[in-house]
Amino acid sequence: MYSLEVKNLTKTFDKLVAVDNASFEVPDGSIFGLIGRNGAGKTTTIRMMMGIYLPDNGEVVLKGVKVGQEFKNRVGYLPEERGLYKKMKVLETLLYFAEVKGKSGREVQKKADEYLKKFDLYDRRLSKIEDLSKGNQQKVQFIATILHAPDFIILDEPFSGLDPVNTNLLKDIILEMKQRGKVIIFSTHLMDFAEKMCDHIAMIDHGKIILKGSLKEIKSKYAQRNVSLSYEGDISFLKGNGIVEKIENYGNTTGIRVKDANQTQQLLKMLVENNIVVKKFDANDISLQEIFIELAGKNEDSTNFVMLNKKEAKNV
Amino acid sequence: MFNYRVFAVIKRELMEKLFSKAFIAMTLLVPGFMFVILGIQALLMTSESKNLKIELISENQTLTNSLQNEMQSNGLVKEGKYLFYFSTLNREEFKKYLEQKKEQLQDEKILGGIIYVPSSAMKDKKIEYYAKSAKNISLFRDLDGPINKALIDTYFGKANLTKEELDFARMGVDFTGFKVLMDENIKEEGYGNMVLAYLFTFLLYMSMIMIGQMTMQSVIEEKSSRIVEVILSSVSPIELMAGKILGASITGVFQMAIWLSPVILIISTSWFVLPKELIFDINGTVIVYMLINFFIGLITFIGLFAMIGSIFDNPQDASTGTLPIIMLIMIPFFIAISMMENPNRPIAEIASLFPFASLIVMPAKLTLVGAPLWQLGLAIVINILTFLAIFPVAGKIYRVGILRTGKKPKWSEVVKWLKYKY
Repeated sequence: MYSLEVKNLTKTFDKLVAVDNASFEVPDGSIFGLIGRNGAGKTTTIRMMMGIYLPDNGEVVLKGVKVGQEFKNRVGYLPEERGLYKKMKVLETLLYFAEVKGKSGREVQKKADEYLKKFDLYDRRLSKIEDLSKGNQQKVQFIATILHAPDFIILDEPFSGLDPVNTNLLKDIILEMKQRGKVIIFSTHLMDFAEKMCDHIAMIDHGKIILKGSLKEIKSKYAQRNVSLSYEGDISFLKGNGIVEKIENYGNTTGIRVKDANQTQQLLKMLVENNIVVKKFDANDISLQEIFIELAGKNEDSTNFVMLNKKEAKNV
Repeated sequence: MFNYRVFAVIKRELMEKLFSKAFIAMTLLVPGFMFVILGIQALLMTSESKNLKIELISENQTLTNSLQNEMQSNGLVKEGKYLFYFSTLNREEFKKYLEQKKEQLQDEKILGGIIYVPSSAMKDKKIEYYAKSAKNISLFRDLDGPINKALIDTYFGKANLTKEELDFARMGVDFTGFKVLMDENIKEEGYGNMVLAYLFTFLLYMSMIMIGQMTMQSVIEEKSSRIVEVILSSVSPIELMAGKILGASITGVFQMAIWLSPVILIISTSWFVLPKELIFDINGTVIVYMLINFFIGLITFIGLFAMIGSIFDNPQDASTGTLPIIMLIMIPFFIAISMMENPNRPIAEIASLFPFASLIVMPAKLTLVGAPLWQLGLAIVINILTFLAIFPVAGKIYRVGILRTGKKPKWSEVVKWLKYKY
């Protein structure tokens, strides 16, 4: 069952089509990833889902009903560009964010205290935001996102600018929310990360959805004839070999595509015969990055993007 | 449009502004300053040199007698501001005498100055003043009248004139202003309302600039600290803008009420006694009208300030953008000031009803010459219409602007924003 459906969203700024007829479905209880490089239209899509931008066309539907303020109140939203009122106190900030979501009173206050204790911020609850470290400010931001007990959590590039400790903290929050049956939607340009966390994805490029569905299905569909390989040695002899269609170096692993699905064993044999130390040989496996490049990466900048992406992903 | 979200925003704005140190300081300092300025003036009046010793020397005995007569009945001498010594010396003697007195003249406490009235003064009224600091305007102003009278006495004393005729000749012209209104008795008017009109004009001007800038800063802060997108996930841009504008306007009216509290106290209680020529001839409804009109005008101006704040993401760029709005405040300010000289200028009449301008000009007009009820109502209606016309435009620019970052937009781009579907 789909909890949220995005139907034919389109948004144009001047002459630039930021999102072009984008449709995808978010299933109940899933972690959903909206994946694409910077400028692909992820943020615009999410802003339209949140009602921050009005779409030129299309709609977002929740259980058959077009979303509005009611939906907004049920969402915890963490934008990529996020900030807090510097002069406000920690507890004040949290209560204010809950209040504009329609939650106020003693219960929220109690819950805020609980979260503050959990995140080691209880003794700072009366400090001004500007007196907190950046890491602690991010924690306050997380609490503000989930304090009103949302059913949906929408995160735009959630891991940009987080330190490793907070990255793990946010991961835990996401997984905990999933266990509680909440729907988590996030956008990212970090393929590795999406691959680890998501059950469902939609891939967006130049404003168009180029791929969507369950991650498992997508992978098995694209994985045939693919081998992901870790090795030591020189594999340049494979270039121009009759059974190899394509070799792609992704840094840690190399993706090799054979011409026919039953040629993978032959490839392994060749590697061993050529004294290559095979550390990992994973037939029928493909990374999201490879899929992305195959679909979107027919030009220069997507290869650059993937290389860059690789570096950033190490931090996650 | 008014829901719990708008109220939450209003509440936050009020908390932020009312408890900010800058606001508290400004709010308390202004009436403080008003009292200090009044106090200093009073202090200056009382502390003006007492018992200033002046030698009043004339060239002939008749003149000396007549000066002596006049000065003895003079109020300033009775109050003890001046202490006169009279003598008669001719020009030669006086020159020598002056040489001797040189040293004493160096210390005001020993001898403030010497006035010499030569006989020629009976023809050209030219007299001389000798002192360490010889340009003493307040002394000239004080003694101009009495000495003139003494000269007139002496001059006409030779002719055969009755005392009445002499008294008439001695008199100066004395203007008394009478305020004429349709519905009230004609009554004498002091300078009190002029002072009030100045006060209102200055306070309105200051408050508008201050609250406007504060709101703009707060919009820029929300934009540049990227908090705005978090807020917009709960609150619509128009709700946020409405909350901010109302919060700031309430702050402004509250501040104005505090600033006017000395005036309110003066007109409604008898705790302060003002001199007759400074009586404030207004009643409480003027203040109430002013606050209501101010509130309506303020939401329009603050809407504009918020709009400018949303276009730019740093205060430096924004300050150039506020120029047109500042002009909208400055021009009425100067019109109101010019009204003090002649309240019946046609431009004042127009400006007191004109959108934006009426905010500052109307209270000044109301205080100086009064205004018929229909004009007061019309000014408010015009202000509300102005607000209704401006809010959709400002709101549109605001909602596009607050999510824009990066390059400073051109005005032509801002105009394009109006066509966006947001």
